[in-house]
Amino acid sequence: MVSKKRILSIVFSVLFFLSCGGGGSDDSGGGGGGGNNDEFLQRIIDDYVDNVVIPTYDLLRERSTALREACEDLEADPTEENLDAARQAWFAARIPWEQSEAWLFGPVDFKGHDPALDSWPVNRTDLDAVLESDNELTEQFVRNLDPTLKGFHTAEYLLFAFEVDELGSREFEYLISVVRDIESTAEELYTDWAEGDEPFGEIMKGAGNNAVFPSQVSALEQIIEGMSIILDEVANGKIAEPFDNQDVEAVESQFSFNSRQDFANDVRGALHAYTGDHPGLGLIGTGLNELVAETDPELAQRTEDEINEAIAAILAIPQPFRDAILDPDAADEIVAAQEACRRVFDTLNEEVLPVIQQ
Amino acid sequence: MTRTGETETGDLYKFFGSLFVLISMVTALLFAACDGEGSGDEIPPIRAGGDTSVENRTSFAFEEPAANLSEESFEKHAQGDITFGDVFVTPPAVVNPGLGPLFNNVSCESCHIKNGRGLPEFGNTGLRSLALVRISDPGGTPDVPGGNPPVEGLGNQIQDHATFGFEPEADVTLEWEEVSGTYPDGTPYSLRRPLLTIILPGGEPLGSNYLTSVRVPPPVIGLGLLEAIPEEVILAAADPGDEDGDGISGRPNMVWNNITSTTEIGRFGRKASAPNLRQQAATAYSEDMGVSSPDIPGGDPVPEIDEETLDLTTFYTQTLAVPLRAQTDDPDVVKGEGLFFDLGCSQCHLSLLETGDHELPELRNQVIQPFTDLLLHDMGEGLADHRPDFQATGREWRTAPLWAIGLTVTVLGLQNYLHDGRARTLEEAILWHGGEAENAKDGFMSLPGEERGKLIKFLQSL
Repeated sequence: MVSKKRILSIVFSVLFFLSCGGGGSDDSGGGGGGGNNDEFLQRIIDDYVDNVVIPTYDLLRERSTALREACEDLEADPTEENLDAARQAWFAARIPWEQSEAWLFGPVDFKGHDPALDSWPVNRTDLDAVLESDNELTEQFVRNLDPTLKGFHTAEYLLFAFEVDELGSREFEYLISVVRDIESTAEELYTDWAEGDEPFGEIMKGAGNNAVFPSQVSALEQIIEGMSIILDEVANGKIAEPFDNQDVEAVESQFSFNSRQDFANDVRGALHAYTGDHPGLGLIGTGLNELVAETDPELAQRTEDEINEAIAAILAIPQPFRDAILDPDAADEIVAAQEACRRVFDTLNEEVLPVIQQ
Repeated sequence: MTRTGETETGDLYKFFGSLFVLISMVTALLFAACDGEGSGDEIPPIRAGGDTSVENRTSFAFEEPAANLSEESFEKHAQGDITFGDVFVTPPAVVNPGLGPLFNNVSCESCHIKNGRGLPEFGNTGLRSLALVRISDPGGTPDVPGGNPPVEGLGNQIQDHATFGFEPEADVTLEWEEVSGTYPDGTPYSLRRPLLTIILPGGEPLGSNYLTSVRVPPPVIGLGLLEAIPEEVILAAADPGDEDGDGISGRPNMVWNNITSTTEIGRFGRKASAPNLRQQAATAYSEDMGVSSPDIPGGDPVPEIDEETLDLTTFYTQTLAVPLRAQTDDPDVVKGEGLFFDLGCSQCHLSLLETGDHELPELRNQVIQPFTDLLLHDMGEGLADHRPDFQATGREWRTAPLWAIGLTVTVLGLQNYLHDGRARTLEEAILWHGGEAENAKDGFMSLPGEERGKLIKFLQSL
């Protein structure tokens, strides 16, 4: 007797072949053209890695070191000026981190560097318990703690929620270990992309020759997706959650009053990703904008304009963000910023992506 | 006619009946799509997740909302996105209190990386524990009818992390031993087997009489669609007594529904031990994060998450898009597809199913390609965890859905497959197939290397 499973199998295989075998556009190569096209796509991928991602992570590790040094200076000499300098160092380190959120993929994900650096909220109950405990607050000790007990937001809490005379030796001990841990993690993140046996930067540049990026187009899609995801996150998560719920506690960088800068840098990262440039570091390269311009120069320019408009709209929100969300007069600006981010998201997904996929 | 004979005939009528309906609908779908477009036009492919499908082969492929969500559902999905990403902390806290005191990790996303699978890792490294260990006491008493008897003091799961000042239940270490073999054609291969060590706070190992099972989190895409597959469809593919003599004897796991206090078909989890997504979510909140909910209040007068949050998280997992297969006309992939059917893989990894009714209209009546029958199968001694789970024996596993499996390395950056993540490649995963799948595995092994490669390419295109 023929088995039910065998009948099902045969039927399904016939239907499957009718439906899915072959067909569909060819995505097995590069942009579908000859050698010239592949080289062009390669330049875009290379410049993304070499001009944008790695230099940003390099800046992050530099500024994490500066943050650690500023905190050590503060511990050695706890003055208002040194606290202010440490706070400025925190702001400075946030810039490349937030920009890098336009490419939240790779080692930052699968090695856990994102939660280690940027977990939120901070576990204040446990943090207080740690400070009150007898444990020696070494870097190794902090490294083994839950991500909500370390990283940028824990450092933010310690640096911004206290006056200089409220910071005791215990707080300093913990702060130093936290910023050392940030420095180590930033170093690892850079190394994961740029050095060692199989740097992720090389994997991305090797798109078309590996399973992570099976084609050059898949790498370009990844670039757009990274941008797209952060724009969605800013509009519909970071701004929306506190704004829609009128909840100050849901604001991420609330102690430092740095939210707008964080959001603006998120979108700046997307701009760098799109253009292959990092103007602040004097790096100019070939970007997706040039690829799009080959087919549709108006779209290429409009996309760039929309990204810049989103940055401007975010910075137009009255400072500080945590007060703006409760201020009826600021509602227009907040909504405008969300809309500007969503516009870029739509342009990227509905217009730019299809051009890339041709 | 014998009673068995009558049942067989009745069964066959039902089977052919539903099969006829399915074929008619699918054929109509195909021809309808061709209508009015003239001859020679391509038949549009059946999409992996039906109308929920999206085109995305990047590392963010599992994070898209289903493509067919209504405006209202889309809004709700966005809110569920937030709750699914909530990072929990020790109470009291203003934002997301409720963690612990015992837990495995602090948010859904911490283990289901980018809504995909986790890793077979435990401890305090950057990622902390991305897997967990289920335990049970074979000599104990189940908490629910047919359930897994908990280990006294530890329950059914080891929580190897704790909030500050509390002691975790145990320290878990996972190591591996290599097992090598050779294909009939002489090509060597190497597999790895897990070596699990569980040390209790006093320093002694967990008693060897207790049963353990390492579990790596599976991806969370397409789950709503799996929830919407009608029971009759699942049962139609079941053949517990192997009456048709083909060596495959899939059967449903009948599990306890905590809310209705009834037994019903299980669908979710490595042994299909959860009947629906809400129970899966509530259990995960409770067991994996120590967060109480209205469904599992755990003695808290006010649950740590409310009804709305539990509902939103459940909704999020119901409404994630399934990414489409990679578009390619690589002849190796086509050949590999053929091998998938010829070898018999498709007998359990069913390539075509249709959903039925569901509370969410977007999930209804979708023709999907999950590559699973949601049934339990004996996979042999090599892969056995020897830990029964409701009606699943220690050798049985639910057929894993293979949709989007080709995206594993793009989404996660690393590969690991099977319940404990032991398989480092798709090839290794196939080599672990035994029991009911022994014949299919042997067929794979007997193929020339080039042909084996084509089957793998096919899987990578999913």
